[in-house]
Amino acid sequence: MNSNQFIALAPILIIAGAAVVTMLIIAIRRNFVLINCVSACGILLSLLAVGLIWQANPVQATSLIRVDGYALFYTALLLLTGLSVIGLCYDYFKARTGENEELFVLLLTALLGAVVLVSSSHFASFFIGLETLSISLFVLISYTINRQNSLEAAIKYLILSGVSSAFLLFGMALIYAQSGVLDFNGIGRYLMNQKDMNALVLSGVILIIAGVGFKLSLAPFHLWTPDVYEGAPSPITAFIATASKGAVFALLLRYFISAYNYSYLPFLTVLSVIAVLSILIGNLLALLQNNVKRLLAYSSIGHMGYVLVAFIAGGRIAPALVVESVTFYLVTYFITTIGAFGIISVLSTPQIEADDLSFYRGLFWRQPWLATIFTLMLISLAGIPLTAGFIGKFYIFASGADARLWGLLLTVIVGSGLGLYYYLRVVVVMSMNVEATAIEPVEPVQKRMSTTILAVLTLLLLWFGLYPGHLIESILLISNSLK
Amino acid sequence: MNGIPLELGLVLSAVLFVLGLIGVMVRRNLIMILMSLEVMLNATGLAFIVAGSRWGQADGQIMFLLILTLAAAEVGVGLGLALQIFHRFQTLDADSVNEMQG
Repeated sequence: MNSNQFIALAPILIIAGAAVVTMLIIAIRRNFVLINCVSACGILLSLLAVGLIWQANPVQATSLIRVDGYALFYTALLLLTGLSVIGLCYDYFKARTGENEELFVLLLTALLGAVVLVSSSHFASFFIGLETLSISLFVLISYTINRQNSLEAAIKYLILSGVSSAFLLFGMALIYAQSGVLDFNGIGRYLMNQKDMNALVLSGVILIIAGVGFKLSLAPFHLWTPDVYEGAPSPITAFIATASKGAVFALLLRYFISAYNYSYLPFLTVLSVIAVLSILIGNLLALLQNNVKRLLAYSSIGHMGYVLVAFIAGGRIAPALVVESVTFYLVTYFITTIGAFGIISVLSTPQIEADDLSFYRGLFWRQPWLATIFTLMLISLAGIPLTAGFIGKFYIFASGADARLWGLLLTVIVGSGLGLYYYLRVVVVMSMNVEATAIEPVEPVQKRMSTTILAVLTLLLLWFGLYPGHLIESILLISNSLK
Repeated sequence: MNGIPLELGLVLSAVLFVLGLIGVMVRRNLIMILMSLEVMLNATGLAFIVAGSRWGQADGQIMFLLILTLAAAEVGVGLGLALQIFHRFQTLDADSVNEMQG
């Protein structure tokens, strides 16, 4: 390790350091506001480090971690996500009794895992990053331990996540047994020299897809998603839905491109089936939900299916275009999902979680601004023009059409049509007459931090929807850095 | 490496893996489910060691150490949750904890 590599690793090291410092401060003095500020400062410092090394050349720090433009872009995205989730947590947990300070330590370690994941170029760092993220999430999900569903959600997630990790590891072991290398580039070289398909490698990659499919909640592995989304505290749900899935997806893309997996057509067939199932199951089951968190959970299954379509297109089109469309879609998905769960967490009180659809009846009359923001987030999720979600969906179509995946695109169209229906249903419920409301209007509590974050997210949503050029330019810079 | 061929080692670990998976799916006691999970993870560890010995590298054993760490951390959190569940529900039966549906 030389100094150059240490500088490249700075964002990761700062996050790890921030987690330790936060933990020590808790041991000395328990103060919710102080801990919140310290962890936010840690993330800001790490962001600063990302900004400083943004222009540098790609650095391979040991064979485990590769810090290139792609890794740095996703690191910045994840750090910003972490920052907004910490802001939402501040308002959500401030009024709650109990010791809520450790929450921020766990958020920082989860973030650390996610950041390692997006920069890893080796099976060992892939695995370590994924598990640092997952194990922090188990505890975060069950953090509001007195709520009925938190424990159930956490134990379900723990068991299923353990099984999926075992699948993932077994797949890695099979690939290692055949190729003798664990780093992505080495596997790429091995596969490139391989003339025929190898049964061990094939089953290995299929097992890895199964393990990753669980983390991304793709269709046959999606069963945990609605329960965990419902049981976890809303800001944490936002974190699971965005940071955890986005980081895994970024890693999967890096793995497929650098380990040359696109040359194996059977994988793409398996992935196509998974994509179709995810889009249909996610959107169809979302129609039946009366709980907003469960509705968003099923819709997120569908959205992961959409991104997978752009991902599959990589078998036929240039990797740079795949990176561009997947990254753009993920950015818009991050913004809208944090926004939507942010609304839920602003409306929730320590007594009641605002996840039932009846809670939203007449929201336009009670809290017009929040209702407007929620509407914008939902129509962006549905992919209606003038919002960022539209451009994201446009990218999916563009890459799908380039690769001539007509069947998959048809499924995307069907899924979007269904999506429009259930997103607008929430909007209609929000605009219903206020007299019909069954619930007493809740005393409005000042939640300045969350409101600011929501306002910023809304502005970003409209900015990227109306002038996507800025974002596309910075994505283009990174899309060629993957090798 | 001479002695045990690669295939036999991989088959053994695959059998252990499937046994663990069946355990996770069939058992209803949370502690037993966590134990079956351990079996699955250790089966993958065995596969890594077998693969590592084929290539004469230490990588497989290092991966096994990482897997052990994961298993310990996971069971640590899992047992903590099981304790809380027992406090709340007075049972460790996985079905009686299952309340969310749909």
